[in-house]
Amino acid sequence: MSFNDVEDARKTLEASGYVATTEIATVVFLAAASEKPLLVEGPAGVGKTELAKALCSGLNRELIRLQCYEGLDEAKALYEWEYAKQLLYTQIVRDKISDVVAGAKTLTEAVDKISDQSDAFFSERFLLPRPLLQAISSPEPVVLLIDEVDKSDPEFEAFLLELLSDFQITIPELGTRRAVHKPFVLLTSNGFRDMSDALKRRCLHLYIDYPGPETEREIVRRRIPDLSDHLAEQMVLAMERIRRLDLKKKPSISETIDWAHALINLRMESLSKEAVLSTLNVICKYREDKEQVQQNVDQVVNFG
Amino acid sequence: METIILKFAASARATGMRISTAEVLTCLEMVPHVGILDEAQFKTVLRSNFAKSRLEQARFDHLYPLFFHELREDLDAGSMEIADHLETLRREISEVDPPMQAMTALAEFVSGEPQAYLTMLQEMRSEGQTQGDGPGGKGSNLGGLVRRLPILRSIQRARETAMAFLDDNWRDIHWETRKELKQHLERRLATAQRMLAENNPPGLIPLEKKGPAPGLHGELGDIPFANLSPGEIVRLRDVIAKLTRKLRDMSTRRYAARSRGVPDIKRTLRAATRTQGIPLQLKYREKPPRKGRIVVFCDVSGSVWSSAKFMLTVLYALQDCFDRVKSFVFVDEPINVTHFFDDFEIDRALAEILDCPDINYAASTDYGRMLRLFKTRHLDIINKKTTVIMIGDGRSNYCNPEEDRLEMIRDRSRRLLWINPENEKFWHSGDCEMAAYEPLCNEVRHVENLNQLAAFIREIVL
Repeated sequence: MSFNDVEDARKTLEASGYVATTEIATVVFLAAASEKPLLVEGPAGVGKTELAKALCSGLNRELIRLQCYEGLDEAKALYEWEYAKQLLYTQIVRDKISDVVAGAKTLTEAVDKISDQSDAFFSERFLLPRPLLQAISSPEPVVLLIDEVDKSDPEFEAFLLELLSDFQITIPELGTRRAVHKPFVLLTSNGFRDMSDALKRRCLHLYIDYPGPETEREIVRRRIPDLSDHLAEQMVLAMERIRRLDLKKKPSISETIDWAHALINLRMESLSKEAVLSTLNVICKYREDKEQVQQNVDQVVNFG
Repeated sequence: METIILKFAASARATGMRISTAEVLTCLEMVPHVGILDEAQFKTVLRSNFAKSRLEQARFDHLYPLFFHELREDLDAGSMEIADHLETLRREISEVDPPMQAMTALAEFVSGEPQAYLTMLQEMRSEGQTQGDGPGGKGSNLGGLVRRLPILRSIQRARETAMAFLDDNWRDIHWETRKELKQHLERRLATAQRMLAENNPPGLIPLEKKGPAPGLHGELGDIPFANLSPGEIVRLRDVIAKLTRKLRDMSTRRYAARSRGVPDIKRTLRAATRTQGIPLQLKYREKPPRKGRIVVFCDVSGSVWSSAKFMLTVLYALQDCFDRVKSFVFVDEPINVTHFFDDFEIDRALAEILDCPDINYAASTDYGRMLRLFKTRHLDIINKKTTVIMIGDGRSNYCNPEEDRLEMIRDRSRRLLWINPENEKFWHSGDCEMAAYEPLCNEVRHVENLNQLAAFIREIVL
């Protein structure tokens, strides 16, 4: 087991710079204890991928990342035969092949002799491992991040099931490969589409929402130690008010951190109306959202 | 603890959550890791195993305090005497004469077993029609009220039975126990009544709600479809034609770029055998473009149709960008009108739909019945590659919304998008059932003009 208890999980994540709520720490601890994959859902920018990175650093494991997209297939995710290399080797060892088939009296006999040697061409030497195979073949335990799994096709999702339930992968030419060490698997999703019940049943589920003001303040302080308490307080309050507006894309933690960097670079000491308006590009990613914040800026910076 | 978790899982299933035995087993294995003394951790174990979507999480958050607090806390370990009386009372309530609907479920609820009562409430909410109506009968959301009444009467009867029990046994039960028992019964029955009055678990929000669209099409783009003059309609058609052409080009370029540049070694080698192993002709991987399947439902009632026809025009003009577009129009029954679009050009198809004898324009709009009939007749056309687009105002003439059928469609599809031409501030007024449908959709949008329509179409095509 990677963690002794929930508190240990929380402290490990914290040591890696990730502020974990009790829920996050509990689910991470349970996933580690039960060696089950963890499906993390939530809006973009709330720290789903960061959680995987923090786990790697906390557990001192390598991160193997598979970024999912529409059209992702086994050749990109699992393994591919290096045909070019196989072809090259065939050319190089052509004379040897002639020796192998030399004594054959009939064509069938020659083919039989060649097929006896086919293992030489379908062996590890010609296998190009992709992230999933790398993760289960790794001699050291790793963290496998299957990022934005909701962007992949249903076929790929079905193909993941064998890996997620049995931590094994079947390669027709070589047989079934079992994980040397079970990787800590994290799947992230923005909820673009619902995942299948079969996949969900194999995973523990964690939903990370926008953080509360306390958590956000803590995150900002940890990530940007140069930021004054006064400015951090105002930023978090303003961000909470901005998120309450009917925006197309609500700013997430990553935007809060970018905003803090921008304010420090502009040498702002406190959050004024002008400061918000001049840094709106960092928080809002749509023109309509900017207009909304501009219209409500007085409320946003009303700190009493 | 095992029994309680099993009962909780059964109750959760009764509220519509899908929990497999494997998940219950995993949960039971995990509970010893965190123990039961820290409630936040215990709750997280149950939540991470049982609630695996936003919808289920809302249901879980609603059920958890009811099951572990309201129904448990009022009976502490020292109340063994009360437990004995409750058992007697459970028998008395379930055997009232004359027998009444729901009494057994209520008796179990009072004694701390909510599963049967939750199942009954779930069935009550999802029933399409009041009992006794034929298949053609008119489902009404008054039916929900009608179905609640007997349960409400049963709660009242249970309350009377309980009070009578306390009066009859006032000599045998110590006054302190009697007082405690009375408070307990009142609390439980009040909870039962509150749950009966609730519709959906509160706090449900749609996964995504899109705000105002950018105005790329000038003044014309901001005029609601319903207010367009004949001259503006002609201009709008030109703009739509340009828009669809542009989108089709962009989509084609995207697919062309994606399928180019990856050599297919297997096929190249196979082709090279014809030329003595020399790869004269390079073969590339030809990935068929992954195009979405679209199923559109269109409410053909007056106000919606004016927007819906533009939406259908655009979708069919872009049908090359999709694998297949299937359309259904409805008043109270889904009618497949895909063949009109296959056989005729778009304007003629729209005109033919309005003359289609299969569509009963005289009927009152009934989303619930439409969804129920769709489930029975056509559900098989929806799979995980299908994007379902519902175009409608959700006004169902006070008929039962039957939102669980929509949930079933959403579960089977890739995405469920709802396009409502009515302004958002009217969504929760009168006979509009958006409050029931909205939480089930992956995305809900207000689309009443070209700018909003263009923004929506751009997102589903590209």
